[in-house]
Amino acid sequence: MSEPRIDLLEAEELRKAIVGGEVDAFVVGRAEGNQKVLLLANAYQRYRQMVEAMQQGAVTISLEGHILYANQRFSDLLGIALSRLYTAPLQSYVGIADRARLSRFLAGGRRGDQLEIAFSSRDGTTVPTRLSIASYDGYASLLVTDLRPLEWARLAIEALDSIRNSVEQLNAQVRAEPPAKQALDSISEQINGLAQLIDALHAEPGRIDPRIDPNG
Amino acid sequence: MTDSDKWLLRLYTAGQSPRSLVALENLRRICDEHLAGRYRIEVVDLLKNPRLAKDDQIVAIPTLVRQLPPPLRKIIGDLSDTERALVGLQLRKAKP
Repeated sequence: MSEPRIDLLEAEELRKAIVGGEVDAFVVGRAEGNQKVLLLANAYQRYRQMVEAMQQGAVTISLEGHILYANQRFSDLLGIALSRLYTAPLQSYVGIADRARLSRFLAGGRRGDQLEIAFSSRDGTTVPTRLSIASYDGYASLLVTDLRPLEWARLAIEALDSIRNSVEQLNAQVRAEPPAKQALDSISEQINGLAQLIDALHAEPGRIDPRIDPNG
Repeated sequence: MTDSDKWLLRLYTAGQSPRSLVALENLRRICDEHLAGRYRIEVVDLLKNPRLAKDDQIVAIPTLVRQLPPPLRKIIGDLSDTERALVGLQLRKAKP
């Protein structure tokens, strides 16, 4: 089959596929190394649903540092409605002392870079997070991981250590002056505090009140 | 199986775009029904590496390219029209 004939058949094939809604992306840019894939709007839907459902915050900011997109999780982390986040400067949600650090991080703009920084939520709570640059092409897309569950796990371990120490003390006291009621009460309080923390972690790891004191 | 029996089919996709997923599902079904045990599918995700579009001069996604057996054949779309896909792959003759 001659080349022009093949091209004609392929063009007809392409026309049929487009009219039939069988394609949802196109390759543009014919120069070497300049090809890009353009997705039709509905092709983004699956990504969008994943981003909206994931447990990490996601935020895209402009060159000037204004929020162009944020997912619901990021909005929940800050306790601020999405409609108010759009176009707001990302820096306005971190402490003044951290703003220069955030600026330097964003100016670096390398995919995979990470920064630990605390955001201030609307109710005044400090939210420690880890920012990761997921993509950078002038706009920076950031993943925001809430570090509080790690902190809660650390608190739980501390509480367990504390209980173990108390049990050791109780053993010593029971040996010396039974029935050692005061030590028993102390242990009981600590166990209750730890149980409360663990219940909260099980219930909703992303949203428990960090002010729960595992020591009761 | 001899080399001449092998089918090598390369599907160009764009990540998890709906048409890409449908195309992959349709391709697997067509292969199971018509080429059982004698095909290999290569999936090329052009979102990850758009430069690979140049190899087979891909314009629209999804596109299936029959690499083997020769001659090279290209089918544009999600393969939901099984008849058109089979004709394109030369597994069935076009109706006059």
